[in-house]
Amino acid sequence: MNVKSLRSALSSYVFLLPALVLLVVFTLYPVLYGSYLGFTEYTATNFATNQPPKWVGLDNFRTLANDDLFKTGVLNSLKYLLVVPALQLASLAVAVLVNRQLPFIAFFRAAYYVPVITSISLAAVMWDWIYNKDGTLNWLLKGLHLMNPNSNESWLLDPNTAFWAIMFVTFWKGFGYYMVLYMAGLQTIPEELEEAARLDGATPWHVFWRITVPLMQPTILLCSLLSTLSAIRVLEEVLVFTNGTGGPLNSTYTALLYVYKKSFGGLDFNYGLASAAGLVVAAIALILSVLNFRYFREGSARA
Amino acid sequence: MKKAVLALSLALAGSSLLGGASASTTSVAQTPVSIDFWTFYLAPKFDGYINGVIADFQKAHPDIKVNYIDKQGTLEQELITNISLGTSPDVVNLWVESTQKAADSGLLTDMGALVPYAKTLYYPNSLSNFMVGGKLYGLPWYASFNAGVMAYNNDLIKKAGLKTLPKTTAQMVAFAKTIKDKTGAYGWAPAIKDPQGGSFLGVFAGEGLPLLNGNTAAFNSPAHAKLLQTYIDLYKADYIPQDLLRKEAFQLSQELYTQGKLATIIGGPQALNRVRDNNKAIYAASMITDAPVGAGRTQAGGGMDLVIPKAAKHPKEALMFAQFMTNRLNQVAFAKIVPIVPTAAGSNLDPAFAKLKASKDPIEKATGMIAANGPSLKTAIPPLKNATDLFKAFDDNIEAAFLGRKTAQAALNDAADAWNKLLK
Repeated sequence: MNVKSLRSALSSYVFLLPALVLLVVFTLYPVLYGSYLGFTEYTATNFATNQPPKWVGLDNFRTLANDDLFKTGVLNSLKYLLVVPALQLASLAVAVLVNRQLPFIAFFRAAYYVPVITSISLAAVMWDWIYNKDGTLNWLLKGLHLMNPNSNESWLLDPNTAFWAIMFVTFWKGFGYYMVLYMAGLQTIPEELEEAARLDGATPWHVFWRITVPLMQPTILLCSLLSTLSAIRVLEEVLVFTNGTGGPLNSTYTALLYVYKKSFGGLDFNYGLASAAGLVVAAIALILSVLNFRYFREGSARA
Repeated sequence: MKKAVLALSLALAGSSLLGGASASTTSVAQTPVSIDFWTFYLAPKFDGYINGVIADFQKAHPDIKVNYIDKQGTLEQELITNISLGTSPDVVNLWVESTQKAADSGLLTDMGALVPYAKTLYYPNSLSNFMVGGKLYGLPWYASFNAGVMAYNNDLIKKAGLKTLPKTTAQMVAFAKTIKDKTGAYGWAPAIKDPQGGSFLGVFAGEGLPLLNGNTAAFNSPAHAKLLQTYIDLYKADYIPQDLLRKEAFQLSQELYTQGKLATIIGGPQALNRVRDNNKAIYAASMITDAPVGAGRTQAGGGMDLVIPKAAKHPKEALMFAQFMTNRLNQVAFAKIVPIVPTAAGSNLDPAFAKLKASKDPIEKATGMIAANGPSLKTAIPPLKNATDLFKAFDDNIEAAFLGRKTAQAALNDAADAWNKLLK
């Protein structure tokens, strides 16, 4: 390496340095230290007595394996992944629909994006009205004769519906965000390709599946990855809709709610156990990310 | 050794403060110190009162400066963070459950040396709320009743054709049915599963049913199951609001009462503030009476205290300030501007409360009534170790019973089994 290229490389690293420092301080170190804590006993008593975390090996993971509440949380988090394909398909389809010049199209694009910028607490108040036993949803369903007029159930109180009701709010809030990402992806597809396909007699359906979807694979990978990670880490919705209880009958209790309750639930916290639970969630997220990469990269290669 | 020094200094601080006016005006600090005082959800509404007390304290103790900081929903998390960072506050406003948890975790200073004096300064019931394992971890500041008084919407009572008001919870059951049948509004919104945990234990305690027998759960007798079934029947027949299973009863009561969908609101006068602000007509139709009580004839409530973290840099000065803040004069002054229950001994005798009791204004009347009831205030659920896990196990089973997944007896048996494992 000559002096010029060495200087060039060095100057590049100098520019990268601030970002690297931030990455190490705010990401790498917390991740490594959090992982270490997962193998320690680190409770409020450690704080009080000024004792450092005590290495306990796999004890925390054994505790988690025997904790029904944690197992329920993990299962619910995995079940929550069902929102991902629904979210991706719907946002991609709508992105295609609004990615054209039509009257009032700017209004529709903005309208779909409003839930993204709505705070979760405000969304919770609004959906609370909708899901209440006297709420809009029951009123509508009864009006359309799709529900027994004597039915008197709140959607958030029935263990069979609460989970899906909360998941729908995630869908509603995330929909506009992914739609915008897909719209950005659609802008990168050369118009000539779709034009040529149409001239060859391809139907809009064929154009969508044979041209648009394959060329959108990198964006689909990104969106799928982001929504998978959001789904496995779902917390806010469950916290606000169930006042942090994870009810009814723990039907909405997720793995991250467990982590939150064990670390920030009060003054009897257990950082060691919470970190171990966090590690389990991180491991699941990692596996899902690898699967996403494998599936969509292969899909992209096939395309 | 450290503990002995601390105990001695606490005793000295206590005796100097309790020894008379001359002692209270002499600061023990040799060099100027600054203490951090954290309150919970009091700013900015009560800044005037708190800053006034602080000014009085600083005047008497020129060597001590008090920094008043109000914390809100994240107080517990911030306390932990500050302790870990070595920047612990010196005096912190906590509540019964959090004091218990923090004391269990060893985060708080044991004020044990003060106990003999404290018993003369505060109502014994209030003091016992902050005693864990015979040690005192917090000085009672102010309290509130779960069911101190009952405000009722007189228009709804008239509409239902009722001539008498319920005096007991058993009568309240019949009352709730009549109100709902005749007006469509709910009559009652009892706490059955508040998110903070274990509230149905309060129902058992209110009816004089035992919760524990030594270290064994005692809440699964047929009498307990029968009582639980009464509430389940009310819930299933829609005589009490469904949302009681996922919302705090106090919050839900305020919402529904303000909307005219609930005939009674049981609790302290503070429950009426929102009604006064949001629905003047219903506030005008509101009247106050004693809250119905169960067969246990107890008045349950919660309490706030001032604690001193072990990591506090100036525990001696912190204790002096905590005592000053919670003394009778300052508690009574606080109760005159906000409807809380003072917990300092003798507060109930203040003539201002008798005057308020005679007022026609619902909040004033309720304030006078509850202030006079301070000595009888008792926490329904005794301090418990592992409280978070115990309440979770209990509430999950109560919920299963209300949702028809378990019988009342099976739910209580399962909860008792879980408790017995956790209490071992």
